[in-house]
Amino acid sequence: MGESSKGIFVGCASDNRVYIRIVGRGTFQNSQPLRRFALEKIEQGQQEFIADLGQCQGMDSTFLGVLAGIGLRLRQNGSAATVHIVHIGPRNMELLQTLGLDRLFSTNSETSPPLAEPDYHQLPDTDLTRLTHPLAKDETTDLMIEAHDNLIRADERNAPRFRELARYLREAVERRHTHKEGGR
Amino acid sequence: MKEFRIDREPRGSVQLIRLSGSLDMYSFPRLEAQLNTLFEQGQYYVILDCRELDYIGSAGLGALIGFAKQAREHTGDVRLLNVPERIHKIIELLGFTKVLKVHSTEEDAVASFEPK
Repeated sequence: MGESSKGIFVGCASDNRVYIRIVGRGTFQNSQPLRRFALEKIEQGQQEFIADLGQCQGMDSTFLGVLAGIGLRLRQNGSAATVHIVHIGPRNMELLQTLGLDRLFSTNSETSPPLAEPDYHQLPDTDLTRLTHPLAKDETTDLMIEAHDNLIRADERNAPRFRELARYLREAVERRHTHKEGGR
Repeated sequence: MKEFRIDREPRGSVQLIRLSGSLDMYSFPRLEAQLNTLFEQGQYYVILDCRELDYIGSAGLGALIGFAKQAREHTGDVRLLNVPERIHKIIELLGFTKVLKVHSTEEDAVASFEPK
């Protein structure tokens, strides 16, 4: 991993855990590759994810909603399955606490370190400074709706916080459907 | 990362708010408090100058829509000025340009509140 590289890096280690390292920002613009990767790993039976926020400069609500989605999906699979957050700074910790995600994730510093450094590789199109193709509007809207639903499922106190955004996004989807039906 | 800053400069009945740094979930409550204070004072003509803004999160944009709607109920609005291209792309992608008016000059933004 180059010093200047930003984005989302992932790796699977010999301890059978999935490692995610966020370098720079996690936003709605680079959430989708992480969502796809994590769902694939969960389908393959992986039960433990370690998210390293040591180099994470910030996360928006969509990105946090995608992380929450991973936690919620793992929780359905059993109590042992979880997301451990490591190297979390005070600012990101405050974000998790504000959204009630500190109760969904394990954020204690006692998570054992990897037995061997995982072989990290960068998820494609997660470096916000070098996105190679424009995001698809419909896909982005759907992702944001799902992510904010996850935040509300994780803690219902998030409902009023994201009410306006959720309403606007759902109206956008309705407009899209009406437009498609009108075009037939 | 640049520290988030809010500087308010009244232009007659219009409130010009210059933003700099990152407007994320961590800093947004400060802008939220500023807008709530203005609304409580009956100040519903607001321009957010984004020239020095280097990031805006999805939830922040969503909340701005709420503030714009609230201001419009009182014949005011929350409008954006000098939006950097990378942020404009985000606003366009999310379709927010349909509900948030964007201006490229301060004169134009202030004049947009004047009765026609």
